[in-house]
Amino acid sequence: MDSLYILIPIALVFCAVAIKLLLWAIDNGQYDDLDKEASRILMDDADKPGDSQARD
Amino acid sequence: MLMQVETDSACYHCGEPIPADCNLSAEIDGASRAMCCPGCQAVARLIADSGLDAFYRLRTSLNETPSQQATKELYALYDAPENNQDFVTETAAEECRAQLLLGGITCAACTWLIESALLATAGVSAANVNLAQQSLVVSWDPQQLPLSEIFQKLASLGYDPHPWAVSAGAELLQREQRGALRELALAGIAMMQVGMFAIALHAGDIQGIAAEYRSLMRWVSLIIATVVVLYSARSFFRNAWINLRHGRLVMDLPVALAIGLAYLASAWATLSQQGQVYFDSIAMFTFFLLLGRYLERSVRQGEILRQTDLQTLLPPAATLKTESGWATIASRSIERGQVLLLKSGEVIPADGIVLSGSGSVDEAAFTGEHFPRELTRGDSVAAGTLLTEGGAEMEVTADAAGSRLASMLQLLGQAGGEKPQLARVADQVAAGFVGVVLCIAAAVACYWYLQAPERALWITLSVLVVTCPCALALATPTALTAAHARLRRQGLLLTGENLLETLNHCSKVLFDKTGTLTQGKLQRIRLQTCGELDAADCLQLAAALEVHSSHPIAAAFSDVEVTQQLLDVEVIPGQGVRARLGDDQLLIGNPLFVRSKCAAADQPPTSRGHWIALAKNAQLLAWIELADSLRPDAESLVQALQARGLAVELLTGDHSDQGPLIARKLGMDEVHSGISPQQKLAYIQQLQAAGECVAMVGDGLNDAPVLAAADCAFAVNQATDLAKSRADAILLGNKLHSLLAAFNTAHDSRRVIRQNMVWALSYNLLAIPLAASGLIPPWAAAIGMSASSLLVVLNSLRLK
Repeated sequence: MDSLYILIPIALVFCAVAIKLLLWAIDNGQYDDLDKEASRILMDDADKPGDSQARD
Repeated sequence: MLMQVETDSACYHCGEPIPADCNLSAEIDGASRAMCCPGCQAVARLIADSGLDAFYRLRTSLNETPSQQATKELYALYDAPENNQDFVTETAAEECRAQLLLGGITCAACTWLIESALLATAGVSAANVNLAQQSLVVSWDPQQLPLSEIFQKLASLGYDPHPWAVSAGAELLQREQRGALRELALAGIAMMQVGMFAIALHAGDIQGIAAEYRSLMRWVSLIIATVVVLYSARSFFRNAWINLRHGRLVMDLPVALAIGLAYLASAWATLSQQGQVYFDSIAMFTFFLLLGRYLERSVRQGEILRQTDLQTLLPPAATLKTESGWATIASRSIERGQVLLLKSGEVIPADGIVLSGSGSVDEAAFTGEHFPRELTRGDSVAAGTLLTEGGAEMEVTADAAGSRLASMLQLLGQAGGEKPQLARVADQVAAGFVGVVLCIAAAVACYWYLQAPERALWITLSVLVVTCPCALALATPTALTAAHARLRRQGLLLTGENLLETLNHCSKVLFDKTGTLTQGKLQRIRLQTCGELDAADCLQLAAALEVHSSHPIAAAFSDVEVTQQLLDVEVIPGQGVRARLGDDQLLIGNPLFVRSKCAAADQPPTSRGHWIALAKNAQLLAWIELADSLRPDAESLVQALQARGLAVELLTGDHSDQGPLIARKLGMDEVHSGISPQQKLAYIQQLQAAGECVAMVGDGLNDAPVLAAADCAFAVNQATDLAKSRADAILLGNKLHSLLAAFNTAHDSRRVIRQNMVWALSYNLLAIPLAASGLIPPWAAAIGMSASSLLVVLNSLRLK
């Protein structure tokens, strides 16, 4: 059980890194428009202009 | 849900029904698709030709029917640095960035279409559309591509671009929104972390846990909870404190008290190694409250950003008469006494008097009247109105700040300030509740201190935790958030916070006529021939003539494809159009004008209605009746509203007999026609003084003050930005029936809020005596508190 003394602080460090990343993404404007990002996955690269034949 | 139009009876692009004699199509994804008008056809062809057909498979709502209002010349004005400094910044050498607002964005596929089309244009280096704000940030190289080309490209895709002068307010709003998201994100991650340790601690309470490890987990939870309390929950403390200083008890006060006390007690328990900790409850409670607020905020933000100011309603530039000729100047530098040239299709930049020339001016913004007024020498014109035909010189009598438009906006500001604010039920309940809880807690503490001092602290804490108003605080916002989401799906965007509450008290619904109950555009309803040609030939000739006019009447013929080429076309402003086809002289226009040129002077078939006449070689060919057609769902909406026991009235600025006619047709209870915006405002205030709660549905600039004063205000989707910014809700799409959804949802959400309140209060009332008598250990109080909050959240989700 002594491993908890190492594992829990490590978990805290991960947690801090995750928060830091999330805050960076927010400040970077990545969450400014949630409506659009939700549909982005549907609009894949094959639909880029110019190669409309490639998708089928 | 993807949106496809499969039938041939509706336009593949916008979904409008296809007129009977229209035969337009465009090839999309290898199949020929029917189109309702040349505008849709042009946009659809452009999209298909750019290899962007995928747009039609990806979109989740239909496009708006494109309107071709702005011209290339207008966009060219934005190329001059003095006209674009508001919204263009130079980011690097040979790169500029512009911020634009886009009208006509309906779903995420539009953002993809716009971004793909712009990025494929040489010179554009980045394009980013924000769907919620309907805005676009584009970076491009001004050496390769003038800004007007970007405007033109957007317009040809069927969107309506406007410069977006970023005000300090809008920037502040975005910073606040990001700040709120940061607080929410931190609370969310912290909630998960603390929750894991809480499970270990609860398991330890049941199975036994070494004091050493229990202490470790409590210390770690304490560290995380400290961050949450100091960072994420600070706004609750600040609000509670600011309001307390002004002697107001608000919902944030019990929230702040609960968070603060639970935190202090838990910290004390951790330090003294006894009692119970509530770190998980603190983090979870903070997260859910912040989440509700964040969602509510982001719904409103997009609309707030588009709050229109004077500058965006006026054109960026005007043509000034100087000694050496005509010069283009920025509108903001216009001064009294200057002489300006007004061109057909332009918005008039200042108030003035016509010196020479003639034309007709569309003053729908002020009067709601959609037939243009004829202008001659000496007539006055107002800033913000549209010169539909002709051309004139005018002398400026008032600059933008002193114009009628500015005073209209001022009226609006006043009306907005006078809007009756509903007392917040939740806040009132909370205020009383907090007082009672604090008294009870104090009494319990005194009693137990005398009876058994060692138990006093924990029993008092149990009382405070058990009575934590979490469930009460969540009861209203969670229900409202769910109701917002439901209405959004049903085609109604809520922008005001009180609408759902107010709608339940509503007793009268007032409608504007033009553009609200009607579609706001003229349509042919009858064609009566009286010459040698049949109806189809007459229509062909009429369309061929009207295609040269920019008068609103011409729009009634835009669905007819013109095949004949006319020569010597002459547009007589306010009168009609004259042209030559082969050896024949053709003439179309208002009855007086045409009859004055004809040999036999007939009367129009009826004296009511709006007729125009078509003639060939001084012989009358046909009479065509035009009318602003009702929206298809107007009649059933009025009936449905009346079935709910609401009085339905019509308020219109139109002087003609159209108002009473429509009211009778729809079976409305009362009609007030020919009244000015001021009179409309006075009427609403008179109704409110008599104790009525009034809902108003409108669209135009002239409705904006009335919308601001009404208890519940709805704007239709085509409404001016100003009207939208004053409304509590916007009907997305083109269906008036969303209004009924609002009434239904308001009713449902009131029921859910009441259930939540009753549950939260009765839980607290039941638990207080038990906790006060020392029967509930603090850990059970914490579980009870979480469970009751969870129940409230789940009950609210039923609304979705």
